[in-house]
Amino acid sequence: MKIKVTFFIILIFVTFVSFVMQEFGLIYPSYFPKPQYDFSKNPVDSFKITLGRNLFYDPILSADNTISCASCHSPYNAFSHTDHTLSHGINDQIGNRNAPALFNLAWQKSFMWDGAINHLDMQPLAPINHHKEMGETTKDVVRKINASNFYRSLFYQAFKDSIATGERMLKALAQFQLTLISANSKYDMVKQGQDSFSTQEQNGYALFLKNCNSCHTEPLFSNFNFANNGLGLDTTLKDFGRWMVTKNSTDSLYFKTPSLRNLSFTYPYMHDGRFKKLSDVMNHYTNGISQNKYLSKELTKPIILSSKEKIDLIAFLITLNDKHFVFESKYQYPKN
Amino acid sequence: MRLIFTLFLLTIYSSISAQINESIIEFAPTFNDLPLELNKNYCFKNDSLKISTLKFYISNINLYQNNQLIDSVSKKYNLIDVENPETSSIKFLRTNSMAFNRISFSNGIDSLTNVSGAFGGDLDPTNGMYWTWQSGYIGLKLEGQSKLCPSRNNAFIFHIGGFKNPYNSIQNVNLSTKGDRKIILNLDISKLLKELNLTEIYEVMSPSKKALTIAQQFSNAIKVYE
Repeated sequence: MKIKVTFFIILIFVTFVSFVMQEFGLIYPSYFPKPQYDFSKNPVDSFKITLGRNLFYDPILSADNTISCASCHSPYNAFSHTDHTLSHGINDQIGNRNAPALFNLAWQKSFMWDGAINHLDMQPLAPINHHKEMGETTKDVVRKINASNFYRSLFYQAFKDSIATGERMLKALAQFQLTLISANSKYDMVKQGQDSFSTQEQNGYALFLKNCNSCHTEPLFSNFNFANNGLGLDTTLKDFGRWMVTKNSTDSLYFKTPSLRNLSFTYPYMHDGRFKKLSDVMNHYTNGISQNKYLSKELTKPIILSSKEKIDLIAFLITLNDKHFVFESKYQYPKN
Repeated sequence: MRLIFTLFLLTIYSSISAQINESIIEFAPTFNDLPLELNKNYCFKNDSLKISTLKFYISNINLYQNNQLIDSVSKKYNLIDVENPETSSIKFLRTNSMAFNRISFSNGIDSLTNVSGAFGGDLDPTNGMYWTWQSGYIGLKLEGQSKLCPSRNNAFIFHIGGFKNPYNSIQNVNLSTKGDRKIILNLDISKLLKELNLTEIYEVMSPSKKALTIAQQFSNAIKVYE
C-alpha cells in the first residue's frame, strides 16, 4: 500500500514537472521554448507587477489623460482591440496600424508589426510618444507620476524608493506584460494529455501542420519572424512594413507573423485590420495572394484547401482560444 | 573609543586619498574661440545662426600610459548637456597611482546596451536621448537655426545615432594628454558647422550614411585643449 502511494506521488510529481516550467516566478508549459526576455536584468516580483498593472490601465500615460495602454489592448480581446481596424488615440485620432494582441511576450524577439522595437522594456515609449496615440513625452509622463501620491507608495513598494524614473516605469510595465501568459487553450490541454481533439479538429491540426506551421510555428503559433504574405499595398496607408526599419527593399511589405492563439478574440486581422473574419483570412491564403517580387518563399506554392478543409482548419484554430487567459482576474483592471 | 578613533583616521585617510586620486575630464565647446553660448545669435557676413541644443554621450573612458591600459572611468555612460554646465565635467577616482598620458572613449552608446532594455541615470529615456519610434540611443543631439538652412524657421536638427551596421554611428576617440589631473577637451562648434554644410544637410534624424558622416565629423572635432 505504502509503495503504491509513493508511486502515485512520484507520478503526480513527474507529470507536474514535465508541464510546468518556472522562470523567476512566471509559470509556463515545459513544451514552450526558452524565453527571449532576460529576466536576470529585471527580476519579476509581485510589487513591480502590481505597479506595472496600474500603469498599464492608467490614462495618465497620455497627453490629455484619456488613453491608457488598455484602451487599445483590452483584456477581453486578449489585449488587442476589436472596435477599430487601426489604433485609436487621443483627440479621436486614428493611428497607422492594428493594435496587436499582447500575450506570451517573453518569447518575442522584437515588437511592433515591423519589429522597430528591440526590447519589451522600450516598447511603451512608442505609443506614449506617438502624436496619434498617447501624444505625450516620456519626461512628462514621469513628471505626472511623480506628482501622484498614489504612485509614490507603489514605487516605494516596488523599488524601495518612491521616486519614479523612466527606467522604473518601463521595467514595471514590462513585468506586468511578461505575466500575460496564454497557455490554457484546448490545444494546451490536449498537449498535456488532459483533453483530446475531435475528428474535425484533428483533421484541422494535420492541415495546419502541412500549410501553416512553417511561419505560425507551434506551440507559440508564430516564429516571430517577418513575412510578406501577399497582401496588396493599401494605397491610403502606404505602409511598407519592415522596409522602413531595415531600409532594405527586399523587406518590402514584410510584417511580423502574429501568433494564432486567441484568434476569436483578436479580430480584425492583419497589420491594417483589413479582414474581419477568419474565413476572409482563409480565402486570402487560398485565393487572394497578390504575387509580388518579395513574397515569402513559404507562399510561392499555392495553398489549396477545399471548403470542408477550411472548416476543419478553423475548427482546429478555435482550439487555440484561451478563455482562462481572457477572463483571468489578475490581468484585469486593478481594484485597489 | 578605539574603534571611533580608527574610523576617524580612516575617514581622514580616505578623504585625502580621494583628493589625491581624483581626475577630471572637462568638455569645453567653443564658437570662434569663445565658450559656446546656447541661444546666442552669432552673426557673420553671410550667415546668422544660433545653437539651441547640444547633448552627447561619452562612454567607456579608458586611460593609458603609452599604449598600456592602466585604468578606466567607473561611470561608463556620461551624458554631456551644454544646458546643464555641471554635466560638462566628468570627475572620477583613480584606482591606481600610475600616470596616464593617453585617453580613449566612445561617442555614442555601444550596441549591447542598445539591445538590453531600460537603464537609469544618464541612460534613462526621460533624458530625451532615446528614439521612441525605433529602438536605439541618440548619441548626439545638435539643434539650432541658421540662415543657410532652407528649412522651416531655418532650423537644423541633427539626432545622430544607429548601432547596427552599415550605419553603426559609434565613434572611438583616442587622444594624447598632457598631465593627468585635469584634461580639457575642446569642441570647435563653428568649425564643425562649416564642415556640416548646412545649405544642403540640415535634417538628419535616423541612422543613415549622412548620420555616420556627421558622427565622424563630430568626433574629429574633439581635441585636447592646448
